[in-house]
Amino acid sequence: MENAYAQVLWRLIQAGKTPHDAVIALRAVLVTDGREVLLPRIGKAFERIARREMAKSRITLSIAREKDEHHAKAEAKNALEKLGLSDKDIHVQIDEDLIGGWRLEGGEYLVDESYRKHLLSIYNRSTNE
Amino acid sequence: MNSTIVEKILKEIEHYAPAHEGEHVGRVTAVGDGVVAIDGLSKAVMSEIIAFEETKDKKLAHAMEAQEVIYGLILNLEEDGVRAAVLGDTARVSEGMTVKSTGKILSVPSGEELLGRVVNALGEPIDAKGPFKNVTMMSVEREAYGVIDRKSVSVPMATGIKSIDAMIPIGRGQRELIIGDRSTGKTTVAIDTIINQRNEPAEKRPICIYVAIGQKESKTARIVAQLRAERALEYTIIVDAPASAPAALQFLAPFAGVAMGEYFMDKGRDVLIIYDDLSKQAVAYRELSLLLRRPPGREAYPGDIFYLHSRLLERAARLSDAKGGGSITALPIIETQDGDVSGYIPTNVISITDGQIFLISELFNKGIRPAIDVGISVSRVGSSAQTKGMKAVAGTLKLELAQFRELEAFMQFAQDLDKATADRIASGQRMVEVLKQKNGAPMPVEMQVAVLFAAQKQLFADVPVARVTETEAKLVAFLDGQASGVLKEIKTSGALSDDLKAKLAKVFEEFRLAHTELFAAK
Repeated sequence: MENAYAQVLWRLIQAGKTPHDAVIALRAVLVTDGREVLLPRIGKAFERIARREMAKSRITLSIAREKDEHHAKAEAKNALEKLGLSDKDIHVQIDEDLIGGWRLEGGEYLVDESYRKHLLSIYNRSTNE
Repeated sequence: MNSTIVEKILKEIEHYAPAHEGEHVGRVTAVGDGVVAIDGLSKAVMSEIIAFEETKDKKLAHAMEAQEVIYGLILNLEEDGVRAAVLGDTARVSEGMTVKSTGKILSVPSGEELLGRVVNALGEPIDAKGPFKNVTMMSVEREAYGVIDRKSVSVPMATGIKSIDAMIPIGRGQRELIIGDRSTGKTTVAIDTIINQRNEPAEKRPICIYVAIGQKESKTARIVAQLRAERALEYTIIVDAPASAPAALQFLAPFAGVAMGEYFMDKGRDVLIIYDDLSKQAVAYRELSLLLRRPPGREAYPGDIFYLHSRLLERAARLSDAKGGGSITALPIIETQDGDVSGYIPTNVISITDGQIFLISELFNKGIRPAIDVGISVSRVGSSAQTKGMKAVAGTLKLELAQFRELEAFMQFAQDLDKATADRIASGQRMVEVLKQKNGAPMPVEMQVAVLFAAQKQLFADVPVARVTETEAKLVAFLDGQASGVLKEIKTSGALSDDLKAKLAKVFEEFRLAHTELFAAK
């Protein structure tokens, strides 16, 4: 039940209503329906939705070494363009396990151009024959 | 590392062409009891296969050591994500794991290479005989053939069991339910039917598929050994989803089995498929549905439990000549509780199938095996597939036995019986003995015709009831040795002409003379 209300709240805000107005409107409905007691749980469900939606828009670029950042960003930009995603807020992180190359995660997409992935792919194909 | 591997790696590197393509992914938000909730994958489709990425956050050396990829099957498409069943070890899936869409609908391998093999519900070999090389992938979910593509059932599917072939005949393309309590011989009937197919000429012999759902591994191993010993494994595929397998695999196994069968049916071959048993599949599906948070209905089964079985059994068919004339005959098994056939799942499957064979504990405990209650067992379409010879000897058998059962019950209260009633009871008792059959010993149809003709001609009338089974066994051996020509004629013609009847009567007379000790005292 609280998930449905939280979804409504999220959509109201997405539609342009201020968070304050949206909460006031929702509370009025809950009071009328005698469901005011759900408010804390709706708040938690809303938090989950917000976290999930923000994660969707966040783009993470993983690289093995700091010095690869410039080159990786340039390549990642092309990849993002292909996927129709914006390259504004790219969060860069170091992951030494990648060995080299880069790995981009954003929206519902993953582009893995790390050396680890390529080496693993070569290994699997050589040993599975 | 040996030089061959090094060469292979070098070759791979030389020809390596990385694909700079984005993969559609989601993230695991919850895992439990074989079901995962995934955020994302908004473009995924129903029944799509997804792959869990275990290698993320692992060093290359550890990633290389990782076992095979774990796959999942999308079963629920929801507003903010999807829910999927894990087709493997759930313990390897963790929260936050990346899940990749494969864009493939679940399919299983099929082909001649699968004959004699034991595979799991995903079609992967589990008999340590190595991977398949030349197979065709068949979609697990496929719409059944429509009315125009089918033709009526007219070719017999001999089970080798006298009471079934005579009174509840099954035709190729039919769906005949085997139903009964636990330990009443349901699996035995099914396995004997598979074994009996060795009596069919190779070009007409159906491909057999045995789907074990929620069974003990030891039972399946015993069945495999029995089929191998009887030389029946060479034309059989075993699909095993044991009790220890995840509910998703137990639910999928029958669909995987029928998908393998459809490969052969599409090529014009006949297929016999056994689902052992659909009650356990229903339980697995209920478990899965509850975990997927689908609304429970009667007995907590989901609303589409009927559709689960109807869409599976509708895939059994006899195709028209234009479609190659192949067929799938389905023998689903249902286990009842305390003889209650009015349960939810039994009534569902009874209404879907073209007849049912009831096995009852009472007969089983009396030593009457197969313990078939012919009174309530029916075959709705199979009689049109019965050979003329069998029809001639089995025409009134069912009625006679039903009358005997009634008289038998009445006999318990009556003191003196008139001669006609006493004769009918004596004849019924002997017929029951004649119809008894050991497990793992199916009988060719021509032999069944000869034995039933002997019973019709009152050959056993002078034999004490206790010695009828022994006499019948001796008669079978005698016919095998002394009348193989007559049996061959019955087999090829399919009918019992007056000439053949006369020949058989003569053989029976010879048998009577050769075994006077059996007919000496009544």
